[in-house]
Amino acid sequence: MQLELAQAALPRDITLAEWLLDPTSWTGSSGILPSLLDTLALCSAVMLAAVVLAVPSAALLAHLGRAKVLSAWLVNIGRAVPTFALAALLVPVSLRTGLGFEPWPIFIALTAMALPPIYLGTYTAVSGVDRAAVDAARAVGLRSREVLLRVELPLASSVILTGVRVAAVQVVATEPIRAFLGGDGLGRYVRDGLGQRNDTLLLGGAVLVAALAGAVGMVLSLLQRAIEPTGVRRLRPSVRSTRIATAASDLRTDPDTAPHASEPPGALTGAMTLTDDERD
Amino acid sequence: MSERNPLLRWDYVVAQRHTIIAAVIEHVQLTLLTVVLGLAVAGVLAAVALRWGRARPTIGAATAALYTIPSVAFFGLLVPSTGLTRTTALIPLVAYTLVVLVNAILDGLDQVPPAVDEAAEAIGLSPLRRLLGVRLPLAVPVIVSGLRVATVTTVGLVTLAAIVGQGGLGRLILDGLRRAFWTPLTIGALLSILLALVLDAAFVLLERRIAPWSVRRPASRAGAA
Repeated sequence: MQLELAQAALPRDITLAEWLLDPTSWTGSSGILPSLLDTLALCSAVMLAAVVLAVPSAALLAHLGRAKVLSAWLVNIGRAVPTFALAALLVPVSLRTGLGFEPWPIFIALTAMALPPIYLGTYTAVSGVDRAAVDAARAVGLRSREVLLRVELPLASSVILTGVRVAAVQVVATEPIRAFLGGDGLGRYVRDGLGQRNDTLLLGGAVLVAALAGAVGMVLSLLQRAIEPTGVRRLRPSVRSTRIATAASDLRTDPDTAPHASEPPGALTGAMTLTDDERD
Repeated sequence: MSERNPLLRWDYVVAQRHTIIAAVIEHVQLTLLTVVLGLAVAGVLAAVALRWGRARPTIGAATAALYTIPSVAFFGLLVPSTGLTRTTALIPLVAYTLVVLVNAILDGLDQVPPAVDEAAEAIGLSPLRRLLGVRLPLAVPVIVSGLRVATVTTVGLVTLAAIVGQGGLGRLILDGLRRAFWTPLTIGALLSILLALVLDAAFVLLERRIAPWSVRRPASRAGAA
């Protein structure tokens, strides 16, 4: 039905520019604008789910230094599983459980695709934070949870955001396969163009899909720069460890992290480790 | 629907076994062809980057840009010029492998300790023989890791090449979707997932065989070599 509607709306002899510049191509239920919003809505939902699932678990496990081998395993398997095949496999399952043709299969498959880069980025970023900074934070009396939230996560944020950005670009670039799995979204024009052997629709759809992926990549790069903690950005050049140690001790003067009445026993050990390291 | 159309009907699988086997063979062929062509093109690009160091950032940026083209768009853009042919499937598939393979070759060569190259020079080997006879063999483990990523990614993308009428198992999936008959869909999807996992595991074994030290101490790969 949708196929026939789109066919009726687009005569064969129309050029690409004519199609893209015609306002009626953009509006209406099968128009470019609703399709674009449809795609962006699904991708946003996928990214939200993936970030909520991957960032806290990876950060906590990396903070505790646990599940290193298991993480590597899961990430490798997650990367290997083909997204299109996984989504297709879920279509009959989704129908049978009463969830319908769409959009659960593609949602789950895209989320599964987004998890590995986000998880891996977070895990390596948090476990890669300079040990001297973590030891210093412990030495000044931060609790384990505070070390994670106030030292490790801020210092890891740049790498974490990179993982999220990479995943988002991948998700936006892959979402159009949804049009071949019974859904719509911006991939519909490529599908309809192939189905109707209409090159204008096909090329126009391909250009739109590619333009969206490019635009999302650029916007996210700018966004990443904008939301990175400025203090951390200033840390990067030259003497990283001393600057980070200073930042950690600066936390003590922050009213939110006022010195605790009783020093946690880890603080002393942390300080000793630090001097031991320096002597080596 | 569930009695006549379960997720998997074994009698259909048995009856269609020749089609299914042919689809697996086609899938594997297209994957291997892609990776072999990708390695060849990546080798040329890596050689250009080595010969003219100034070209290296450009090659890196160009291959990375190719990788970000959405697969549906890439296949779609080519159909008007090359039709529903194997070429239409191969161009994007090969293009997607380049960023991984070029980086693997160059990183592999970079991580060879300078002392090894100096020693080779000291015993009188020419620059070309040092590259092909000394540095390249030492880069093989890193290149194989790149091949692993490229191969596994390609298996998944070959499934998608079904939208331009190519690529084995993906055609079973689309066939199942069009007819809302789940057996070919399930078989096509399960086999392509299985193929990706099996090839991934095969590469892990290969990596361990050719570079056993890298399993235990990934950081000191170069030093142990």
